Amino acid sequence: MKTLLAFLKKELTEQLRSGRVLFLGILFVLFGIMNPAVAKLTPWLMEQLADTLAESGMTVTEVNITAMDSWVQFFKNIPMALIAFVLLESSIFTKEYRSGTLILSLTKGLERYKVVAAKSTVLILLWSVGYWLCYAITYAYNAYYWDNDIAKSLPHSALVWWVFGLWVISLTVLFSTLCTANTGVLVGTGGVVLVSTVLGMIPKVSKFLPTLLTDGNSLIYGQKSPKDYTAALVITGATAVAALTVSIVRFNKKQL
Amino acid sequence: MDMLRISGLRKRFGDKEVLRGLDLTVPENSIFGFIGQNGAGKTTTMKSVLGLLKADGGEILVNGERVVYGQTATNRHIGYLPDVPEFYSFMTAPEYLDFCGAIGGMDKRETSKRRDELLELVGLREETHRVGGFSRGMKQRLGIAQALLARPKLLICDEPTSALDPLGRKEILDILLAVREQTTVLFSTHILTDVERICTDVAFLHGGTVRVQGTLGEIKSRFGQDEYLLETDSEAHLTAITGAFPAVRRGTGNQLICSVKDTPAFEVLGFVSAHRIPLVKWERVEPTLETMFMEVIES
Repeated sequence: MKTLLAFLKKELTEQLRSGRVLFLGILFVLFGIMNPAVAKLTPWLMEQLADTLAESGMTVTEVNITAMDSWVQFFKNIPMALIAFVLLESSIFTKEYRSGTLILSLTKGLERYKVVAAKSTVLILLWSVGYWLCYAITYAYNAYYWDNDIAKSLPHSALVWWVFGLWVISLTVLFSTLCTANTGVLVGTGGVVLVSTVLGMIPKVSKFLPTLLTDGNSLIYGQKSPKDYTAALVITGATAVAALTVSIVRFNKKQL
Repeated sequence: MDMLRISGLRKRFGDKEVLRGLDLTVPENSIFGFIGQNGAGKTTTMKSVLGLLKADGGEILVNGERVVYGQTATNRHIGYLPDVPEFYSFMTAPEYLDFCGAIGGMDKRETSKRRDELLELVGLREETHRVGGFSRGMKQRLGIAQALLARPKLLICDEPTSALDPLGRKEILDILLAVREQTTVLFSTHILTDVERICTDVAFLHGGTVRVQGTLGEIKSRFGQDEYLLETDSEAHLTAITGAFPAVRRGTGNQLICSVKDTPAFEVLGFVSAHRIPLVKWERVEPTLETMFMEVIES
């Protein structure tokens, strides 16, 4: 346990000193503020565009903005935050393969699974803190300007998206142990998400796929209920755990 | 007791067979010079000992325990310095040693004490910059400090001096000499003068196997051609000697070299004495590692 904590501390220090924590902090706070800001500015934007729209035959009537618009923005923006997160962290293993820094740690008797465990923990921690910070900021602004009660099953919709993020992290870790360069990590992770998205177009299988968890809008509008997500949640959780298990097995045999 | 025993080690990369049944024995408390040309398989051998490479065949015992690839428990006996050691550039030298102690499961107080001792030994006590700004020599010295932190029984250094300037080389060799009391040192190199300076034992690696191994003295006597160098003060004397012993070769200046297998040394000395030839010098020619190495790789 002591050795795991020591490696975890090293990972956190690295994230801090390399400026990644600062970057991710700014990113998630910015997205958190942007969601309500864009919603708040929509009427003004429409007003500015009214003349142009009138010329093309559209009339702008009174625009009624609610917390709903802000939450729709939230689910529209959070994928971008996740992409930025994965791009930034895709080298968390590969950078060490390239520089050879892990060799000295491992020849000191550090068990290999602890490397996977520490790096996964740091990724999960950063994603969780960033994601819920973004959520809390949007929630607070929405509560101030409008009323959050209008969005149905809000905590659940936020929770399933967070789980989707964890699933993507497990894929990043898996491909980090399978590949040696971070291009491989990005292509692998992106590829699996893409396959899940494409398969999601088939109605019969869509409810079992991890990408269903990104559909927060259907939940807040009440088109779907939390129990419609149960199957996808279980499968996502199971595949994430499987991915991390395979990562450990694979990393134990990896030639460094 | 042998600190390291390798028998029949084989390793192939694609169609290139790097190690073809390598046998090596490193006795305890020796400074062992592992000599070979670039690409001879020195690093492959060392990485196999550390369990970082999966060997295709053979057995490696460290302190009597078998080395297993992947989760390598025998590494607790080993301190390792790679040829180009890389550290986390965002840490300072003391921070890195503290990290090494912690992941090696060392006691915190023991780590601090050892850290200060070793930073003193390698001359990095006053260094406050992060490792990212270190020169090659400084990294090499920090590399030795981290390798020695847990008081390993075996210190493995992969070409520790190859990339350094003469001053840096001297510093590293002095440190290796200084730690001899504490540990067995195995270091690979192709710089033969380094070996002659500090090693007690050597092995020549060529063509994927160890061709010759033993203590420096043993090897020298085995390869020693038993030659004597004779120097006199005039050309006339030289001609007199070569006239009597045609097998004696001319050296530089007024020197002659006589090989014992062609011309018994005492006969030459007898001739010198009988003809009252003044001797400037009479000495036994010590074979150099270089000549021995050349002989090994040419055979």
